[in-house]
Amino acid sequence: MRPIRLACGVAAALLATACAATGTTTQPSTGPQAEVEPGYLAVADDALPSGGTLNLQVHIDSGAATGYDPQLADVATTWQLLSLAYETLVTVGPDFSVQPLLAEKWETPSPTEYVFHLREDVSFSNGRKMTADDVVGSFERLLASKSVWRGQLGAVKSVTKDGDHTVKVTLKEPYTPFLAALANVPAAVLPMKEINDKSVDPATTLLGTGPYVVKDHRQDVSWTFKRNEKYWAKGKPAADTLNITIAPEEAARVAALQNGSAALATLGNVDSAGMLAGAGDVKVVTQATTDFYYLMLNTKAPASKFADPKVRQAIAIALDQRQIADIALGGKGEPSAVTPAGLPGACDPAALPSASKGIDDAKRLLAEAGAQNLTFTLSIYSTQPAPAVAQVIQQNLQQAGITVKIEQMDEAGWSGKVYGKAPAEFDAALSWFAGYADPGMVTKWWNPEEAGFNVGFMTPDKELNALIDAAGKEPAGAAREKALAAVCAKADADAQMIPLVTRPATVAFRTDALSPSLYSTEGYGNVLRLVADARVKKSQ
Amino acid sequence: MKRLDRLSLGGLACLLVLVVFALGSLAGAGGDPDAIVGPRLRPPGPGWWLGTDNLGRSMLPRVMEGVGTTLLLSSIAVLVTAAVSATFGIIAGYRGGYLNELVMRLVEVLYSFPAIVLAILVAAVLGPGQVAALASIVLATIPLMTRLVRAAAVAVSQRDYVTSAVISGARLPRVLGRHVLPNVAGTIAVQGTYALSVGIAVEGGLSFLGFGVQPPQASLGVLIQRGGTYMIAAPWLILGPGVVLVVAILAINVVGDGLRDQLEPRETRSLT
Repeated sequence: MRPIRLACGVAAALLATACAATGTTTQPSTGPQAEVEPGYLAVADDALPSGGTLNLQVHIDSGAATGYDPQLADVATTWQLLSLAYETLVTVGPDFSVQPLLAEKWETPSPTEYVFHLREDVSFSNGRKMTADDVVGSFERLLASKSVWRGQLGAVKSVTKDGDHTVKVTLKEPYTPFLAALANVPAAVLPMKEINDKSVDPATTLLGTGPYVVKDHRQDVSWTFKRNEKYWAKGKPAADTLNITIAPEEAARVAALQNGSAALATLGNVDSAGMLAGAGDVKVVTQATTDFYYLMLNTKAPASKFADPKVRQAIAIALDQRQIADIALGGKGEPSAVTPAGLPGACDPAALPSASKGIDDAKRLLAEAGAQNLTFTLSIYSTQPAPAVAQVIQQNLQQAGITVKIEQMDEAGWSGKVYGKAPAEFDAALSWFAGYADPGMVTKWWNPEEAGFNVGFMTPDKELNALIDAAGKEPAGAAREKALAAVCAKADADAQMIPLVTRPATVAFRTDALSPSLYSTEGYGNVLRLVADARVKKSQ
Repeated sequence: MKRLDRLSLGGLACLLVLVVFALGSLAGAGGDPDAIVGPRLRPPGPGWWLGTDNLGRSMLPRVMEGVGTTLLLSSIAVLVTAAVSATFGIIAGYRGGYLNELVMRLVEVLYSFPAIVLAILVAAVLGPGQVAALASIVLATIPLMTRLVRAAAVAVSQRDYVTSAVISGARLPRVLGRHVLPNVAGTIAVQGTYALSVGIAVEGGLSFLGFGVQPPQASLGVLIQRGGTYMIAAPWLILGPGVVLVVAILAINVVGDGLRDQLEPRETRSLT
């Protein structure tokens, strides 16, 4: 009788689950996240006392392969960590507007001239006052470096100082995204005196003007930051100590939130809110970002399957961006063109040439290219939601008769495969770009000669490059929107990198332990942008 | 020959049902395991009898595919383990000396690694996927089976009929193949069922860590890994594959116990 009892038990358990679950369907939550103030998902309570230890958890450490030199940092996760110690001349507000930071104000006498007036009370964490020489030196060092960010600054003609607290930048030609490009970590002001006399190596030592200084770092394990006692902003940072634990497993970060060992954690699963619904003191919020996923089709591999543009265009047509957003991202993403959805002046992805065509058009293009039975491997990293996005892509392309084999690997292995060789050997790969605060910035990455990192798998298109440059010169307004629309259409036809959907950033924090400030939107992949404002209610 | 007892027959019946389940998946029963068929994270209901997952795929065909993947991987791995362990265990047990020492020390080195650590090491070298999972299961199950086969071969080698064969001029392959192997076959069969359950558990662990089968292919480990993430919001995602995994391992162990009772009747059963 025991097997019968066992079978009955199993059946009863299944039935109980089905009944218990009825009516608890987890639907995609669409629409904007509720704001506590315009532009903010959370605002730190200034009435709470400063001090205490803030325990955070993130999924990945900075990319140590390039060291900690902010100018050479090329991934958003590194920018996020370095932003605790380094600052830029300007920053961005919740509406993507450029705001003062180390420069308290600036003037633009002409479309090619920018005059920055520096704060006089800013010191590096070693106590030395920041001067115009540091700003000029940082510019010159960045422009002379192999930094991927160099191209984002436009054509800089000269950088000169006028006294100790004024710096003038002259461009060779107008470049509208210039200020937004200065708002990211690679454009941080470095301690040039110490770098020049070699008493500090920025690749190994973090010495900036930011709110925190590094006390301890164990690669892939943890960071400990202490408050910068010389920090210029009065009353900041609020927390004395930041402990950042690197916890690659999402389940570990969720458990840390539940048991209180973490006050805030970044999460990858778009359904985190539902999964943490039972944890009363945990609040889950989703930042809308301008970051977006994109599909890379390698045209430089020997005997590339994507050398014919018709094949790439067929793939672009067969992709259902709305389904990717609704299914893989739980309704929290939005279809995007090469200009990130959500930014003022960005193109409408529904107006792209590929969006007006259907599966039959995709099949016809494949037939014309002699690629009816196209099969390729899609290389992805295992961090969610990339595998979910890849599987929806696989289903989309199956409709056009394209077979996709998914190859999942850890982030380091994936990065080596995609960026490690030129020509690269992968077929196709999935990743995401930070979308920044100006719709023209990320389009720069569609020019491999300027971006550099994709030269191993992307063939330059002179016409597209010219359109990108032309859009950069146009001042904000209707003419620029038209120029950006031309970039979007050309990039859509080129289809070597196909924009997919915006990437939501999910953050969870314990309301009994922390009162943080969080923007509703973010453009540089930096969830910790306002961490200096966060008030610790109780240290774990 | 004694018949299997009722418990073992029940275990065998469960295994047969699971095999039919897996074959049904190959034949397309239950639907396409990769197809997005409905809303995401729906509880069991008409159209998706085991619910839908986070990509709106019906869990029923995915569990069926998962059973097939896991059983197939584990079975192939156990056959490889049996072949390798039988070869080296019998030779080491029969010949003794330096050869015995070499085989045993190698086996002990392998034995000193926890199975899942060994599996991660293999996956790191070979890259994640079915080959890595297969190799991991083989490496995890070889040490114990080789030691047991070697112990059985030592005992059999001292029997009179083996000595007679040697004196009568039988060559080594014949002695091992005709006189030693048949008499250690029972040990291999019994240990094989244990290795099968270890294989399922290792595959599950490996896929749980992301080193096993690749998406969208389902295995019980993959399904449990994803289901575990949604345990609170969508418990049906882990319940189906979890129950099947428990039933499979239980059934295999029960059958293994029954086989041991038949082939080594003096041993005491552990599950009665």
